[in-house]
Amino acid sequence: MITRVTTQMSITAATERLQANAARVADATQRATTLQAIAKPSDDPVGTGSSMQVRKEQAAAAQYTRNANDAVGWLATTDSALSGAHAVLTTVRDLTVQAANSGVMDDTARDAFITQFRALKADLESAANTTYGTRSVFAGSSTEATAYTSADGFAAATTAVSRRVGDAQTVRVDTPGAAAFGSGATSAFAVIDGIVADLQNGVNVNPKLNDVDAAFGTLRAAQADVGVRHAAALGAQDALKTSSVALETRRAGIEDLDLAGAVLDLQVQQTTYQAALAVTAKVLQPTLMDYLR
Amino acid sequence: MVSTFGSLATAYSGLTAARAGIDVTGQNIANAGTAGYTRQRVTQSSVPAVQTGFVHGTAALAGQGVSVDGIARLGSLTLDAGLRAATGSSAWAQTRATGLSAIEDGLHEPGKNGLSAQLDVFWSAWGDLAAHPDDAGAASSVIAAATTVATALATGSRALDTQWATVRSTAATQVDQLNAAAKQVAGLNVQIRSALAAGGSANELQDQRDRLTQQIAGLAGGTVRTNSDGTVDVLLGGNPLVQGDTVRTVALEGGARLGDGAAVSLRWTSGSAGSVTLDGGSIGGALALLAPAAGGTGGAIAEASAAYDRVATRLAETVNTEHAKGTTPSGATGAPFFALAAGTPAAQGLSVVPTDGDGLATRNAAGQLDDSFADTLSRLGTVAGGADRTWASFVAGVGSASRTASSEATLTGLALTSARTQQQSGAGVDLDEENVNLLSYQHAYQGAARVLTAVDEMLDTLINRVGLVGRG
Repeated sequence: MITRVTTQMSITAATERLQANAARVADATQRATTLQAIAKPSDDPVGTGSSMQVRKEQAAAAQYTRNANDAVGWLATTDSALSGAHAVLTTVRDLTVQAANSGVMDDTARDAFITQFRALKADLESAANTTYGTRSVFAGSSTEATAYTSADGFAAATTAVSRRVGDAQTVRVDTPGAAAFGSGATSAFAVIDGIVADLQNGVNVNPKLNDVDAAFGTLRAAQADVGVRHAAALGAQDALKTSSVALETRRAGIEDLDLAGAVLDLQVQQTTYQAALAVTAKVLQPTLMDYLR
Repeated sequence: MVSTFGSLATAYSGLTAARAGIDVTGQNIANAGTAGYTRQRVTQSSVPAVQTGFVHGTAALAGQGVSVDGIARLGSLTLDAGLRAATGSSAWAQTRATGLSAIEDGLHEPGKNGLSAQLDVFWSAWGDLAAHPDDAGAASSVIAAATTVATALATGSRALDTQWATVRSTAATQVDQLNAAAKQVAGLNVQIRSALAAGGSANELQDQRDRLTQQIAGLAGGTVRTNSDGTVDVLLGGNPLVQGDTVRTVALEGGARLGDGAAVSLRWTSGSAGSVTLDGGSIGGALALLAPAAGGTGGAIAEASAAYDRVATRLAETVNTEHAKGTTPSGATGAPFFALAAGTPAAQGLSVVPTDGDGLATRNAAGQLDDSFADTLSRLGTVAGGADRTWASFVAGVGSASRTASSEATLTGLALTSARTQQQSGAGVDLDEENVNLLSYQHAYQGAARVLTAVDEMLDTLINRVGLVGRG
């Protein structure tokens, strides 16, 4: 209990109170202008940890989104390449049926068929060498310049190429060439070569229709597989969009201040400060000196 | 029976006392704004009547006026001691809170400028490299991100070195101030002792000495013991820094750089040697900050520096382990990604080994593009015990410590304000009170003058008017 109030004491106390008020105004101003709830770790040590964790998850989600976009692009390219191959094989089948039903052909007609079949094979090879960016979509991890050469077949790939689209989810993006076009004697390329050889030797190509249909089967299976993976990548894209919104909401909840609350707080602090200034000015002025003559 | 002119002497003593009172009041008012000034008051007492003995009998006699006995200094030793103790602990807490706050500011967390965000960029760069292992751009962004992380760690660690050196040199300056203040206290002890022995007033000297002892308390804590001859002893950790007119000196010893890892301590450099135990003060706070790391309980700066080193070491270990599993385009396996320079703190010696995509493990043993290594590396940010977790727990630790230190500083600050208010309540000058005193001394002076006039007129009557019966 203080019974004696001295001049110095009132002045010191008033200064300290004004200082404290001014500090609170500065603090409220800082928060209202930055709208950050956590300016430094000591403001909220636990919140700082959560904030760093959420930012980490956001960075990962952004990375997964880029990966998913890449996977979708790669698989769409694969899908269109396979559709192209499918169209080529359809033409091959139509021509085979025509050639089988043409009876005895003269050389000109036969050469015309052979030329067409060779052109179709070239189309198929070009589909097999489709690239996405710098990578051949049917070559997997191989570093070969071209995925397919008629001499060596498809380049050997030792590992699959996949894209990570979630903490525990990856999507395989490459399609082994052999799985789509077949390999060895039953490959789509070998089937066309067989048809050309039969035509040259004057053998009826009708039996080759079965081989063409088998190649179709292989291609369709590959298309279905790519379709499934494409759907998975698209699904991951959607999920990542949703989760990035959720993560941003979480980050804002931890780090950001409510504008209305911050401005209101600033207003209250300013009013308090002004009141303190006015009161101090009134209280500090008079001493007995003012009343003695 | 009083002598004829005795009354004049009594009135004169009243005049003198009132003048002394006005002088002291004037001194108080003049020093109303002087820091450390303690208000003074004239102590006066009434002079008893002279014992007249048997000749004149034992008639009742008035006293012989007033005597000015001295000028009292209205301070309180208890409140002064309380103020010194509060100053010591407040300075200690303030120094520590400032140090921790500086460490905390250097973290730049949470946000996009902190190490955590830079690590995220680094891991993302590995994710991009996993998607495009043959892309020179992806490779160079991995290396650039790694360089940024290494630079951030080195910058943070160097900033701690600088902070440590700054705190140490500040403490060294404060030790010089402490020695100077102690020397002045001893000098004032001598002056006060002789002034008091001669019967004089040493109030202003005592004010000066109190200011110095309070400065010593703010620098190094300590206690003050008053002696009967008016001198004071200043004790640091129970040992005298000042004893009467003798003074001992102290100096900082120990590590000169943070890298030395040696404890910094305050030691006696005169008298019996040994280290000084500090129980407060800004030097005490600085020494607590400067202490070497001790597994989490050491000095804040050294612990922070050790945490930076831990993060750098963990980063290098985890990344190199995974990176070594892959093969570089040139066919080398087991290639390191990060290198730690020997002889420097890990955080400052961390460097990135590959200079382009040829040094990155993007291939498998067959020499084909393999994204699995880069993919594993991109996920190292979430592994338990990894660099990110180490960093996050360090940041949270610094945050908590800084929060505690800052609230401690606020609390001791409040205690200091309260102690100062209490002390000022007793020792401070109140202008209203001084004005009232001024009035009363003024009236006392006027009253004494009136007594003098009355005696004068009385004597005039006696000398000039008595015995004139019948004269013209």
